[in-house]
Amino acid sequence: MEKAIGRKTGIYSASAVKHASLIALALLAVFPLYWMVVTSLKPESEVFTSSLIPLHLTFENYVQAWNAVPMDRMLANSMVVAVIQTVMQLITSILAAYAFTRWEFRGSNLIYGLIALTWLVPFQVIMIPNYVAISGFGWRDHLAGLIVPNIASAFAVLQLYNAFKSYPKTLIEAARLDGASDWGVLWRTIMPNLKAPVASIGILLFITSWNDYFWPLLVTTKLENTTIQKGLQMFISSDGNMWGALMAATTIASLPVLIIYLLLQRQIIDSFVKGGLK
Amino acid sequence: MAYKKMVAATLVAISVLASACGNAGNAGNAGGSNMDAKAASANAANEGTVSSTETKEQVTLKFYSYNLAIASQIPGTEKLIKEFEEAHPNIKIDAIPIPSTDINAKVQADIVAGSAPDVAQLTFDGLDFAVNNFGAKPLEDIVPADEFQSNFEGFSPNGMKLGQLNGKTYGLPFTFSTPVLFYNAKLFEEAGLDPAAPPATWEQVKQYGLQIAEKTGQTGAHVGGATGGDWIIQALIGSNGGGVLSEDRKTIKFGEPEAIGAIEMWQDLIKSGANSKLNDGEAIEAFTQGKIGMLLFTSALQSSFLAASEAGGWELKTAKMPAFGDKPTTPVNSGSALFILTDDKAKQQAAWEFLKFSTSERGYTIITSEIGYLPLRPAIVDDPNYLKDWVEANPLVKPNLEQLESLQPWVSYPGSNWKQIETILNDSVSKAIVSDGDVASIMKDAQERAQALIQ
Repeated sequence: MEKAIGRKTGIYSASAVKHASLIALALLAVFPLYWMVVTSLKPESEVFTSSLIPLHLTFENYVQAWNAVPMDRMLANSMVVAVIQTVMQLITSILAAYAFTRWEFRGSNLIYGLIALTWLVPFQVIMIPNYVAISGFGWRDHLAGLIVPNIASAFAVLQLYNAFKSYPKTLIEAARLDGASDWGVLWRTIMPNLKAPVASIGILLFITSWNDYFWPLLVTTKLENTTIQKGLQMFISSDGNMWGALMAATTIASLPVLIIYLLLQRQIIDSFVKGGLK
Repeated sequence: MAYKKMVAATLVAISVLASACGNAGNAGNAGGSNMDAKAASANAANEGTVSSTETKEQVTLKFYSYNLAIASQIPGTEKLIKEFEEAHPNIKIDAIPIPSTDINAKVQADIVAGSAPDVAQLTFDGLDFAVNNFGAKPLEDIVPADEFQSNFEGFSPNGMKLGQLNGKTYGLPFTFSTPVLFYNAKLFEEAGLDPAAPPATWEQVKQYGLQIAEKTGQTGAHVGGATGGDWIIQALIGSNGGGVLSEDRKTIKFGEPEAIGAIEMWQDLIKSGANSKLNDGEAIEAFTQGKIGMLLFTSALQSSFLAASEAGGWELKTAKMPAFGDKPTTPVNSGSALFILTDDKAKQQAAWEFLKFSTSERGYTIITSEIGYLPLRPAIVDDPNYLKDWVEANPLVKPNLEQLESLQPWVSYPGSNWKQIETILNDSVSKAIVSDGDVASIMKDAQERAQALIQ
């Protein structure tokens, strides 16, 4: 009896330590976001104070940020680019991953190796050739110039291939024996079981696209045609940052990612727990 | 079911893509008007004589500017462009905002892609590269000698030198600043110092800094500029009688005794406790909060410091850059010049008109009072038509204006490794001042590495 109680307290204290450290880590992760929101609500004279709450709550920074740059257009552009780019990258990588899993063909390893290699090529190397190419198509300052060079993602192919590989081959073969087409196998047999990894890769792709700065900087010129990340840069300069407006704009810019995360939370946690995404 | 949804989603996505492209296409008419400008300039070229004042064909200039990429400077810059366009109805400025840190990369990519800007605002440390790699055009080739002469009457002679290389003028100083010593009068008083007598030498900076630290518990001083461009480092080395590059632009000199001496002073300032151990960003914030006595940094910070001092209940004052003993101080400018990059003769003339306006009495009035930089036409400071009233209302700008008389150009390093050389200097100085390492060996090592990058 005593032993059991002792064990129980042991479990309790172990779990208390675990919880305490998790709470501390959670605070560490949340605090910068909290500070961003709080700073965005402080008047200019208060921005540099260490007060944890705004003493004189103001939405002036939001008004200023919204009026200084065409925020609505930039957000809409970012949304269109990130959504289309993510969807296209998912489609291309799902098809590629399925092909690699389903068939063993001559040179498949070579092709897979090449795709893996392109993932290692830094953006700076391909930036100028890509830019010259999209200039040739007349896509400078067009959203197509932002999206089209990014419709395939080596990262997504590699990740999804790993996820697809874990799917039992016998089930695919069984579905084939039942007369399902490849298309049917992919969408009706495999996909419903791999929602979690696809969703988590999708959100990573979305965030990457949403946060992209340099490619939009090159391709677009007018503020009306560019994405929100370039807008955020407008509040930063070597001669001092407009902290209030910057934090307001950053808060606005991080909302869509937050909303998408909340919507797909279940899948993402599943995916991480199952270790589908390393 | 899921499959149908997916197909539907794809279709929606594609149609959104198509319509989005259409919208962007409508919004970005720049391509079309550029074509018009090209046609117009071709006509102009056919007709032969193109005088700068008689160019009546429509010309559109593609202008890259980083002031337009800084939210607080957009209104002033737009005003400058608008006034120019009103005065020159045949010239349209297609102004494109690009952050200063990315503007060189963007110009380079656009030159490769065949869509270089006609006029670009580039920082002075890239002058050599702009001339040799971006094909910047010397004004002497574009503007008739007598017009050149008459236009630059009343222009600061030191100012003219900022954008010159090998005896030709490639860049006209646009928005630039000098290093000034900001100080907090309240902390001076609390430390028993006279706010009317700011330090004139580095020795005094150290002494006052220690006194402020001791009496008020706040930080005494901060010298900015160890990171993010080497202009303040150049100013310090120059003020100690040294330089960073030889006259013939072939030998790096920042490992020589004068340079070492300047950096040793900086190291000593920090080691003694007179100077903060903060980085520049932190120091700017701390100064804004009234927690640093003196700060040497770009004069462009003045308006934000002024606002902060008013909100924080302390008085902001400014002084000239301190000297090394009785040696003459050589403030170096930061900032940018306007460069003409276009090969098209008609556009070059239009671009000259734009440069002329931007650096005119009216242009510098807008640049100084509404964008926050400095005028290179000294006379307008006392002219009631231009800056007289503004300077009286903003007396803090005076030390800055006085420094224009001793201004030295921000030296740009030769070859395509210029930025790397500048980074080596920045990194080595940062390393030297925050450590108690041997400044001489750090700077000599930096000189050797930088010299190897000179082609």
